[in-house]
Amino acid sequence: MAKTSRFKSGLISSLIPFGFNVERWGYVIHRVTGVILIGYLAAHLFETFQLSMGPGAWANTMSALHSLGPLEMVGLWLVAGSALYHGANGIRLVLNEVFGILMGKPIMPVYPYSPTSLGRNQKLAVWTITAVVLVLWLWAGLYLLAGLGVI
Amino acid sequence: MVEVIDHDVVIVGSGLAGLRTAAEVMSAPRGKAPTLGLVSKLALMRSHSVAAEGGTAAVLYPELGDSLELHAWDTIKGSDFLADQDSVWKFVTLCPDEMRQLERWGMPWSRKEDGRIAQRPFGGHSYDRATFAQDKVGFFEMRTLYDKLQEFDGWSRYEEAFVTSLVIQDGTFRGCTAIDMKSGRFVFFRSRACVIATGGAGQLWKFTATSVSTTGDGIWLAYQAGLPIEDMEFMQFHPTGLIPTGILITEGARGEGGHLLNSKGERFMERYAPSKMELSPRDVVSRSIMKEIAEGRGLKDEDSGLSYVHLDLRHLGREKIDSKLPFIKELSMKFVGLDPVDEPIPIKPTAHYTMGGIPVDDNGRVIGGGSREVKGLWAAGETACVSIHGANRLGSNSTAECLVYGRVVGKDIVRFLASEADAAEGASSMVAEEETRVFDGLLKNESSDDDVYAIKARLKEVMDKSVYVFREEAGLAEAVREVKALKEKFKGVRATDGGRQFNYNLQDVLEVGGMLELAEVVARGALNRTESRGGHSRLDYPQRDDANWLKHTLASRTDGGPRFSSVPVRITMWKPVERKY
Amino acid sequence: MALDKLVLEVLRSGGKKARYELKFRKGMTVLDALVEVRERQDPSLAYRHSCRMGICGSCGMNIQGIPRLACQTQVSSLGKDVVKVEPLHGMSVIKDLVVDIDPFLSMHTFVKPYLIREDLAERDGSDREYRVLSDEVARFLQFDYCIMCALCYSACPTVALDPDYLGPQAMAQAYRYMADPRDEGWDARINLLDRAHGVWRCHVAGSCSFVCPKDVDPAKAIQMARVEVLKKRVLRRTAKAGSPLVNPAPAGAAKQGTRAPPFDFKEGGRG
Repeated sequence: MAKTSRFKSGLISSLIPFGFNVERWGYVIHRVTGVILIGYLAAHLFETFQLSMGPGAWANTMSALHSLGPLEMVGLWLVAGSALYHGANGIRLVLNEVFGILMGKPIMPVYPYSPTSLGRNQKLAVWTITAVVLVLWLWAGLYLLAGLGVI
Repeated sequence: MVEVIDHDVVIVGSGLAGLRTAAEVMSAPRGKAPTLGLVSKLALMRSHSVAAEGGTAAVLYPELGDSLELHAWDTIKGSDFLADQDSVWKFVTLCPDEMRQLERWGMPWSRKEDGRIAQRPFGGHSYDRATFAQDKVGFFEMRTLYDKLQEFDGWSRYEEAFVTSLVIQDGTFRGCTAIDMKSGRFVFFRSRACVIATGGAGQLWKFTATSVSTTGDGIWLAYQAGLPIEDMEFMQFHPTGLIPTGILITEGARGEGGHLLNSKGERFMERYAPSKMELSPRDVVSRSIMKEIAEGRGLKDEDSGLSYVHLDLRHLGREKIDSKLPFIKELSMKFVGLDPVDEPIPIKPTAHYTMGGIPVDDNGRVIGGGSREVKGLWAAGETACVSIHGANRLGSNSTAECLVYGRVVGKDIVRFLASEADAAEGASSMVAEEETRVFDGLLKNESSDDDVYAIKARLKEVMDKSVYVFREEAGLAEAVREVKALKEKFKGVRATDGGRQFNYNLQDVLEVGGMLELAEVVARGALNRTESRGGHSRLDYPQRDDANWLKHTLASRTDGGPRFSSVPVRITMWKPVERKY
Repeated sequence: MALDKLVLEVLRSGGKKARYELKFRKGMTVLDALVEVRERQDPSLAYRHSCRMGICGSCGMNIQGIPRLACQTQVSSLGKDVVKVEPLHGMSVIKDLVVDIDPFLSMHTFVKPYLIREDLAERDGSDREYRVLSDEVARFLQFDYCIMCALCYSACPTVALDPDYLGPQAMAQAYRYMADPRDEGWDARINLLDRAHGVWRCHVAGSCSFVCPKDVDPAKAIQMARVEVLKKRVLRRTAKAGSPLVNPAPAGAAKQGTRAPPFDFKEGGRG
């Protein structure tokens, strides 16, 4: 009998985890924002490198960027959001992983079960981060819109 | 086409007794450690032993008032004097070491204030000697033993391999035939030594605490191989089984102070066993519950139609329940939807433990017909009947039995292998016959004359109705007739799933065939025994009859049904007296 | 919610979806439904089950997209009348709902999940016990609740992407033994955890703890194990001795003879 690959079944749900805990969605967004930031880092290094190639190269790069129009600001807005989320969530992860806090202590499980690592402290951290990131991201958006001259 | 797998030792069954034997065999000194194959029809941690809850009995603190004599006396009196007393004595002397050995292997026993192993009261014991690990002692013991086995190399696990027959030739064990569920291949495990540790036969009944896998496999394997089986009419009905599933609520709940209440809210045990009350042996409590229900003081569950009484833990308080009985709280909330702190739990006696089984001697060696040993075959745990439990087992003695006899059998096997020089020979014609019976006979692609699941359901109903806590002649005779009729119907049964891989349907067919044979032995044995003793209560013969019935029943297979004989009980320490609590 | 009909949609071998219609009964679990299908409709449906009380760990499967134990999932709690059942993700399917848990079991064996002591003769041959206080037991007891059902292994996103990853169960069991005061195997296990496919691949998605049916909380165990790894790397910590053996007789107990029964047995005692 053919065995299906052990990974095929896991891949989709690992990327879009419907029904799972909020920390799992946080993990997905952390990975996606990480990829965006690496992409941005590469693009940014390439862009600033053009400065050393002389005034012509720099002007070409700038006009290429500005020709995107509002898309440039949208792109920057997405990067800003990625940096905000990845940084703030990253702090939470450092607290979890390096210091082992927000996870709770070993307890004696009592039914109905509620794991301490997904408990009150962790959820508080997750939602606080989400709130702070959203507020700052909106502010960044307004800042960029002002830059566009819209407001 | 048969695949032959050779090992020095094969252990069939991976519960507490099987794993303990494996640990003992693999711990043999270097140069002597035999090759081991651990065969089970389930994955190793899935055996029913994980469901054991209450505790394991041992005399850990003789300085504090307990004594080996007291443990032996409690066990023998609890067995209604049918236990073989010299075996009981050997058993109780070995228990304390087992508790301490498990502790040194990592077992998380519950502790006293000073860090020593804690014990709690249990039914039928005159001293608090049930060593416990919250209320999941069987689970933690299995975890400890399974983890211990990970330390050894050089043993093989054959999980999900269903043993279909034992091959015994010239009074010597040759090997066992099995179906490898993963591939569907027919396998012959050839070995010089084999331990049968497959557990009891609780699934013969519908309302049972046992897992779906507890179908008495080892016992019917021995029976079908021509070996006699002992004391099968003695089935223990644990008093507190959850309505409507039969799931076990541990005796430890009563040990921690729980009360049994009837529909009027009275602690009815006062009337039946005023001195020990709820902590009387299980057969006494089960009979009391059934009497209360029969006399109209029980409650009825509308959805399932089952009658029940209440187990009240409310007065224990949340803290005690959360720390000492957390698993009970989980089961009540998950399966009945009530919190034991707020409401009493609905319970009724449930089929739980098989006192009978394959007769063995004090080293666990299987005794064949005519008291001859079968060379190379052992049995341990619930499957075996030494007999140390006689007509009724005390709570917490079974996990102790599995551990003690696991060790005893393991040691005996190592000794046996060191002294036996000849390698195992295969009995190839018997193996080929078995392959034909299973694959060509049962696994044909034609449609089956009869539905194996309907037969199984009917068998369970019959056993629940007539071979339950209280039995009487008319009901038992009816049960014998029905079982015979079901056996006839079974002859036309085939597996309707024709696949080879993971064919649970074929496994079900083989199991039900064995269960029907065992049910016939149980019903006929119960009909023959015209007395009430321990777990076997006859309404028409309510007294114990030592003059005629102080003996063990042996049943051997013939084509017309079981042939009964008997063997005397070994009384070496105390003469039987009246059993009152 | 009032249900009288239930549809069970099972993903069978070869990717086919089979639909079974059943009559709903009060208190029915998904396992009850599967048993009814095999016994009354389709005996070829393969799934594992044994204890039906949530302690053996056989019946793990994906129900409505989340790994659960079928025996303790009430159909009514799912809130829908079509219940979608699939085999556990992250493991090869052998037949229908039966998956291959061997990689999972071998990860467990790999982390040396047994009590390690310097003095093996004492561990295996003494007649005394190690002294352990209740709060010392509390440090590891939660992680010992593991029934090896493989739900956490199936739910973990890293397992789905990395075949050599130890997985939450193995690492939680490694920590269970490291936190056991009797154990002296800290050094033996720390190097097994301090690898690329060990603790470092855990990104605290927390799904393991989310699906665990016994509240073992492996996410917590892994972070505690990671703290131990960091202690080794940063603080240069090594193992210390485990709990000592104690004399079984409690201090101050009156010396009664071991053969002094409270009443005369020979005549049959109290009766």
